[in-house]
Amino acid sequence: MSLDPDLATALVEPSELPPEEPGRLAVFWRRFRRNRAAVFGLVLFVLVVAAALLADVITPGDPLRRVAQPLTDPFTNPVAPLGTDQLGRDILAGLMHGARVSLMIGVVATLISVGIGIVIGAVAGYWGGWVDDVLMRFTDAFQTVPSFILLLALVAIMGASLESIIFGIGIVSWTSPARMVRAEFMSLRHREFVEAARSLGQRPVATIFREILPNALPPVIVFASVIMATSILLESALAFLALGDPNHASWGNMIGQGRSVLRSDWYVAVLPGIAILLTVLSFSLMGEGLNEALNPRQKK
Amino acid sequence: MTHRTLFAALALSTVLPVATLAQEAAAPEPKRGGTAIFHLVTEQGVLNPALRASTGVYQITGKIMEPLIDLTYDGPVGVLATDWSSSEDGLQITFKLREGVNWHDGEPFTCDDVAFSAMEFWKPLLNYSSTLQANLESVDCPDPHTAVFNYSKPMPLALMVAAMPDLGHPVPKHLYEGTDYQRNEHNTAPVGTGPFVFREYQRGQHIIAERNEDYWRGEEFPYLDRVIWRFIPDKSAAAAAIEAGEIHGSGFIGIPMADMIRLGEDPRFSVGTKGYENNVAHSTIEFNLRNEILANPEVRKAIYHGLDLQFAIDSIMRGFAQEGRGPIPSTGGINYTDDVTTYPYDPDLARQMLDEAGYPVGNNGIRFTLRHRSAPYGEYTQLWGEYFAQAMREIGIQVDIVTNDTPAFLNGVYRDHDFDTANGWHQFRSDPAVSTTVWLRSGTPPGQPWTNQFGYQSAEMDALIDAAAHELDPAVRADLYHQIQRLEMIDLPVIFAIEHPFIGIYNNVLMNHTNTPRWESSSWYDLWLNQ
Amino acid sequence: MRMPPILAYALRRLLQAVPTILIVMVGTFLLMQLAPGDMVDALVGDMGGADAAFIARMRQEYGLDQPVWVQLMRYMGKLATFDFGWSYVYEQPVSTLLLDRLPVTLALMAASLTLAFVGGVALGAWAGRHAYSAADNLISTLGLVFYAMPNFFLALLMILLFSIHLGWLPVGGLRDIAAFHTGWRLWLDMAIHMIMPVAALSLIYLAFYMRLMRSSVIEVSELDFVRTARAKGAPEGRIMRHHIMRNAMLPVVTLLGLQFATVLGGSVVIETMFALPGIAQLAYNSVIRRDLNTLMGIVFLSSLLVIAVNFITDLIYARLDSRIELR
Repeated sequence: MSLDPDLATALVEPSELPPEEPGRLAVFWRRFRRNRAAVFGLVLFVLVVAAALLADVITPGDPLRRVAQPLTDPFTNPVAPLGTDQLGRDILAGLMHGARVSLMIGVVATLISVGIGIVIGAVAGYWGGWVDDVLMRFTDAFQTVPSFILLLALVAIMGASLESIIFGIGIVSWTSPARMVRAEFMSLRHREFVEAARSLGQRPVATIFREILPNALPPVIVFASVIMATSILLESALAFLALGDPNHASWGNMIGQGRSVLRSDWYVAVLPGIAILLTVLSFSLMGEGLNEALNPRQKK
Repeated sequence: MTHRTLFAALALSTVLPVATLAQEAAAPEPKRGGTAIFHLVTEQGVLNPALRASTGVYQITGKIMEPLIDLTYDGPVGVLATDWSSSEDGLQITFKLREGVNWHDGEPFTCDDVAFSAMEFWKPLLNYSSTLQANLESVDCPDPHTAVFNYSKPMPLALMVAAMPDLGHPVPKHLYEGTDYQRNEHNTAPVGTGPFVFREYQRGQHIIAERNEDYWRGEEFPYLDRVIWRFIPDKSAAAAAIEAGEIHGSGFIGIPMADMIRLGEDPRFSVGTKGYENNVAHSTIEFNLRNEILANPEVRKAIYHGLDLQFAIDSIMRGFAQEGRGPIPSTGGINYTDDVTTYPYDPDLARQMLDEAGYPVGNNGIRFTLRHRSAPYGEYTQLWGEYFAQAMREIGIQVDIVTNDTPAFLNGVYRDHDFDTANGWHQFRSDPAVSTTVWLRSGTPPGQPWTNQFGYQSAEMDALIDAAAHELDPAVRADLYHQIQRLEMIDLPVIFAIEHPFIGIYNNVLMNHTNTPRWESSSWYDLWLNQ
Repeated sequence: MRMPPILAYALRRLLQAVPTILIVMVGTFLLMQLAPGDMVDALVGDMGGADAAFIARMRQEYGLDQPVWVQLMRYMGKLATFDFGWSYVYEQPVSTLLLDRLPVTLALMAASLTLAFVGGVALGAWAGRHAYSAADNLISTLGLVFYAMPNFFLALLMILLFSIHLGWLPVGGLRDIAAFHTGWRLWLDMAIHMIMPVAALSLIYLAFYMRLMRSSVIEVSELDFVRTARAKGAPEGRIMRHHIMRNAMLPVVTLLGLQFATVLGGSVVIETMFALPGIAQLAYNSVIRRDLNTLMGIVFLSSLLVIAVNFITDLIYARLDSRIELR
């Protein structure tokens, strides 16, 4: 998976890039738009972002405070239109504020994992040799340990705060991006445009970031949508095992606690469950659209 | 949805379970045979009640190994002991032991077993018991069926008797003597004198015990052929298993509270707190007095006034609870008093007290912030911690909850004292001297769970605790415990906020269930299946 | 004298695995040292308390009073002789504990991955061939929904439907203990108990492989050699089997190898929900009870498994794609 070779060669001289930028974006959007499911994903994503942004407008105040009788059914009390949980907390407020938490988990954890992945993958792929061997054994080791068990250990060590959960998810998810970046670097490092840059005396770091990385990124960007989706699912699995952060209204916490009243008051767990499902779905659909847009070989 | 009326109905039905009434009216003849299957949430590494004093151990081993004395609704009743008495000075306690009792391997049970167990297990090895038996010097066996316990300081007979159901399980000397006690194979394959004989322990799956054909109560006992305990870590899944009829019972709040309420309405099941009178716990709020804000007793009292306990009882405990009145629960018999200072819910008063204490609301709406550790003991403890945070925000105190697993929680609270407030539950173990007053006594080294993590130090409290522990006159002893309760309710190192027995759910095919105040831990020799 | 290439390759991979496992073991050991509280705290918590002398004696007996490097050296020394030590939480040798529990997890994972792989490849291939048809849209949408659902949520819904509502399947556990089945009845009973856990664990991966296979099939179908074959008039079924499937399966096989460890992690929740005594649930309990010996044993075993599975998928990969040689 890489950009068209002709497009890549066109990138040899970075100075030639600017006039092409809007064109690339337009091309990208045209391709993305062709996939209707991806557009649907984008719409869902925009809705989730809107919920996160408008949380304080639509449901102002602390989402963890008591607003009505515990376990109020949905559509029975205007104070809590979607009902309340065991402690009388407004479920709508939880969903809105939870969108922030979930997006934050998705985005920050993905940035951490992709960041680590890029550094390790780039170094290993660019230099190869013993550096590659050492880094790959290290990556192997990480990939060998079941990620969720490692995550549990990290949360056991750092405590179940939102920060440590996000950090933990980032730490357990970097191996796949690292391998991808490495593979791209290995195939790109001997291309003419890289050799050209190198022979012009460009320093390795500059070559990595300015020449190779932009070309190695597309598959990683696509994969980032997978990491975002898994991050949200991982947080909910932690909350299932009572290792969520109770200081924040998070969808994972809401399901984790709501499932104990699932049989009598289904909405407490099911509504955040649907929120997670739709959000993860939006990431997957957008990822697919991105893949088709960035990887024209697959175009129909 | 309001459950208030339902709570009331259920609270009533726990006093007089409808099922039990029906049962007595019909009084069917007990039937022999059948396999009863029970749910357990957590697995036990050790199945030896003389090595591990914990309810989880008694739930299983109580059917296999028997104590000297058990507790019934008519008071203490001899099991392996038939009679007990104390010398005038309280330095000697004598047990007459039951004759004609055999261990499951056929060896006779004698005073040698009791003396060996007391000196080699109860005094040096058994948690809780080691404090209780600290002054035990020796156990004499004047004849095979008399055991004389010699103490260097007076031991109140009432305390000893109250402790024996939990801390008085003899082990067979002939299987332990000369072995490494901690590694003895019988620690996980117990040999006892009880109505059921241990058969197998499949880790992570189940434990099976089968009928003892040579039980001392006579050949009609026990009624059941077999008891099986299944380990199901997920409480919702356990509720489903109960509902599907795969399991007959689950004790100690083994399923979610909402399922308790829901299945309690189903005529197939009995839900209630009966059978747990001797297993009462308090949901607590614990203060770290090293924090200078919390060192001010007015702040602690204000916090108490800020807690809507009736709300917490209704929403979290679904009505199966009542407000606490200090360290001793209302089931504590003569040692309990309700004549103590109370702090009814009054958020305005709480705010006013905090203002007067010098903690006005800041620009951000917050007076001060507390770092709160919530014990990871499952659904209702977690909700109780979250309710505390919620209630405190209403009176302007920001509470940040730190969530950890059990080792990190215990370490953070009891060794590092790295907390401002904490919540959990504390079980009352028959007598205040066994574990409750230990919690309030100063002078214990850090790193010992369920001992003074508050940094609470009161010469008056310490003196009362020490006096009560060695007082022989039950009435004087009770008065000392009343004073301890009153003092605790004024000093408030910990809020014994909610008193709740545990809750069990049992399929109505089970007969004679919950017929003693520590039924889950008892021997079930008279349990039978009506099917 | 010359080794057959496959053996030489296997040997090379084995040598590569040694440092990996060393890193994993030492890393796990050191990582768990950072955790607040130790095994004795967990045990004392289970007991409901104990006094200071009792606690100190336990620490001494378990060797927890020794410096970390001494504990590590002792452990690694024992491990070199395949002695996994003693689990103080379960009061059993770790090897017994692992041998007891491994089959459950292996059965769960093998069944789940097989189902996910076969089902995913078959459905994905079908959807890919009939891309953008109504049926494809339906399959793809369902796949997306399953992929987006937290697996414990799916498990919960399945229990409600199949155990409570319909009463068809047991809620959990490995077998019907009270029935005392033997022989083939026992196997059948255990298989019935595995249906829901396997479904709950595999559906998300099935959906994932299906999507991967679908796009892979679409991609390969456009490639020159397929067009050539088609132009030559080869029957469509033959093209599908010999050209498209073979190549389209490559990414799925790679992922299968890479995801083995992830699936083991996912089993934690499933084993907990369905009360299955496997090593994933054991690993979780070992973490929260600081049972280091057990956790190390599990990590060691799972590393070996992951390495073995990756080795096998590499072999399959080489067989599927004649262009790849074993390096």
